[in-house]
Amino acid sequence: MSDFQGMEDLLQDFLVEAGDLLSSVDNKLVDLEKTPHEKGLLNEIFRGFHTIKGGAGFLNAHELVTLCHLTENLFDRLRNGELEVTREIMDAIMDATGSVREMFNSLEHGVQPDPAPPQLLAALKLAIAGTLTAAVAAPAAAAAAPAVPAAVAPSAGGPDWGGLMQAVSTSVAAFAPAAPAAAPAAAPAAAGFQPDVTGKSPEDIIKLAVGRRTVDKPGNPNAAPSRRDSEKGRDNSIRVDTVRLDQVLNLSGEIGLTKNRLTSLRSDILNGRSDTDTLHALDQAVGQLDLLVSDLQSAVMKTRMQPVGRLFQKYPRIARDLARSLGKEVELVLVGEETEIDKTMIEDLADPIIHLIRNAVDHGVESPEKRRASGKPEKSQVRLEARQEGDHIVLLVADDGQGMDAERLRAKAVEKGLITDEEANTMDERQSFNLVLLPGFSTKDVASDVSGRGVGMDVVKTNILKLNGTIDIKSEMGKGTTFVISLPLTLAILPVLVVCLGEQPFAVPLSMVREILPVNASAIQEIGGRATMVVRGEVLPMLPLSYLLGWSQEHPPEYGVLMQTAESSFILAIDSFAGREDAVIKSLEDFRPKGVAGVTTLSNGQIVLILDIKELLDSISGQRGVPRSVFMPQAALSA
Amino acid sequence: MLDPSKIKFLVVDDFSTMRRIVRNLLKELGYVHVDEAEDGAIALQKLRSGEFDFVVSDWNMPNMDGLQLLQAVRADPGLRHLPVLMITAEAKKENIIAAAQAGAHGYIVKPFTAATLNDKLAKIFDKLEQAAAA
Repeated sequence: MSDFQGMEDLLQDFLVEAGDLLSSVDNKLVDLEKTPHEKGLLNEIFRGFHTIKGGAGFLNAHELVTLCHLTENLFDRLRNGELEVTREIMDAIMDATGSVREMFNSLEHGVQPDPAPPQLLAALKLAIAGTLTAAVAAPAAAAAAPAVPAAVAPSAGGPDWGGLMQAVSTSVAAFAPAAPAAAPAAAPAAAGFQPDVTGKSPEDIIKLAVGRRTVDKPGNPNAAPSRRDSEKGRDNSIRVDTVRLDQVLNLSGEIGLTKNRLTSLRSDILNGRSDTDTLHALDQAVGQLDLLVSDLQSAVMKTRMQPVGRLFQKYPRIARDLARSLGKEVELVLVGEETEIDKTMIEDLADPIIHLIRNAVDHGVESPEKRRASGKPEKSQVRLEARQEGDHIVLLVADDGQGMDAERLRAKAVEKGLITDEEANTMDERQSFNLVLLPGFSTKDVASDVSGRGVGMDVVKTNILKLNGTIDIKSEMGKGTTFVISLPLTLAILPVLVVCLGEQPFAVPLSMVREILPVNASAIQEIGGRATMVVRGEVLPMLPLSYLLGWSQEHPPEYGVLMQTAESSFILAIDSFAGREDAVIKSLEDFRPKGVAGVTTLSNGQIVLILDIKELLDSISGQRGVPRSVFMPQAALSA
Repeated sequence: MLDPSKIKFLVVDDFSTMRRIVRNLLKELGYVHVDEAEDGAIALQKLRSGEFDFVVSDWNMPNMDGLQLLQAVRADPGLRHLPVLMITAEAKKENIIAAAQAGAHGYIVKPFTAATLNDKLAKIFDKLEQAAAA
């Protein structure tokens, strides 16, 4: 089926590398808008298109070659000072990068791309000829003929490059159609060309800019696929710094040596030697192994870490296009691009961050008039920041816009039937802000095209939670809103709390655990037939783990673990707990019992199931809760 | 004819996909001894410290481009004998003249096939042998 039989590897390499290149070109274009005469930028952008063209040629992607060639020619003239960057030219260029990205998408699906839109090609040709701007017709630029490929026979004389020319002219054929001079005939075709992103819906802008994955379709909050599903069809290769690989190699060598030491000690001990020296040596060797293994673990983990800058690169262009389509002026400021995040996580963060940025641009940031009226600079700033805090990565999307009105949010949520009046009355500011993350919430009466359908923000939350992260909102009226995403450093190691039901241990993600409480039967109240407990004024349902698993409860649960999930908090009632562990998650291939996220091995060698709390809760939804009697000693006896 | 497996190539390009393409094409032709450099400056360093027999260089690169590399190679008494094949996406007349004047042994335009590359290499080796015989 593929147009690239036998070239798949090459194609993958090309797409990864050229994709990065295009993202950096996109960013440089945003910069170029601010400093249109910056020679270095023009040069780098020129080289970007040039390089993509070169690679595309080997893939026989002629349409991509044609488009890059035209754009490259345009930049050649721009960098030589023969043309000026005008708004019209800028728009044509922006469209060209969009089109290049579309072509990458079809390449990714193994299909040769369709030709670029004829208006775009025509506009580029006009731009090269210096006549894209109707008003400005720089005579000097118009006079200078655009570069024509040298398929012409060389003039006589000079060094022996005649032979060279001959060799060249065979391969130049492939390029001939790619380099038509800006013909006057192109003019009528371009007449109807509207080089502006406003013609495109913001959805298109995002699709263009992000490319491949459109998983989180609006209106389908459940569309977020499981990790395993989404793993397929995405780029499974990773670029690792050789220094890091060497470290892994080095450590595994050291571990080999320590293993040898242990083997010899074992035979000593088996032969009856147990003097202090031998035992001391054993102690040392085990201690060393311990150290080496944890070093190796972190070294291996580091090979999965990628600078978040690769992800951030995509966004300035998206923000710019969105802002323009809304008639706003927004600058996206990137901070902490060197922060490293697990590769899988980077990919899963791409969509949520887009939602947050477009939310900031659409809802957060005011119109230029309004900003002027309130004494703010017309151009607003949206800051996208990443940093590491302890064993967490923190991502911020902050705008300097109008901020959120807690009162209005609550009123809206009540009106939409998302919360009750009573609930609204007990909510503090932070809880009110978090309402925007509920499915079906939208504060605009008329949904705007960009982010007003109240979908997306709940998907953001779902996706962040899938990564074992949390999302929080800070906002100040008139000053702006900040979304704070907190993520674990890696998905490979999950800190868990090991809880026990009878003798059987289970692991629950520590990120969901808020605290552990002793369960006192007298503190349990029954509300609406369900056992609840009041913790610092908050009424929380008590759910015994045995009940969630469908087991019988031998004794009344002795401890409660206060769990916080996306939707709610509750107390997980258990018999006892065994402490916390850093679990290395092993997924159960082809076999996934309901409510089990994976398995791990404890330090004592015991195998433990890691529970998927959300799934367990879903399985009992509708009949949430158990009567108080479960927690009474006599009830347990009779159970 | 020289033994292809003994000839050590240096492929210079800032785009790693392109380096891989060239490396694969060379391998197809039996030239298995290939090292890579990301730009002219790194290439020059490698050339000065390693035993290379042949340079295949892209033209358009950051830091030091292919033409500057070529000029530097020709200006270095230890390297000036090295055959240099220039690769570029452009078939512009002035580029070819510039390359020829700077002392390139050959010039090849992207995209090319293994056969085209082989032709070019064969021509360069022929020329080198003739020069050696003369």
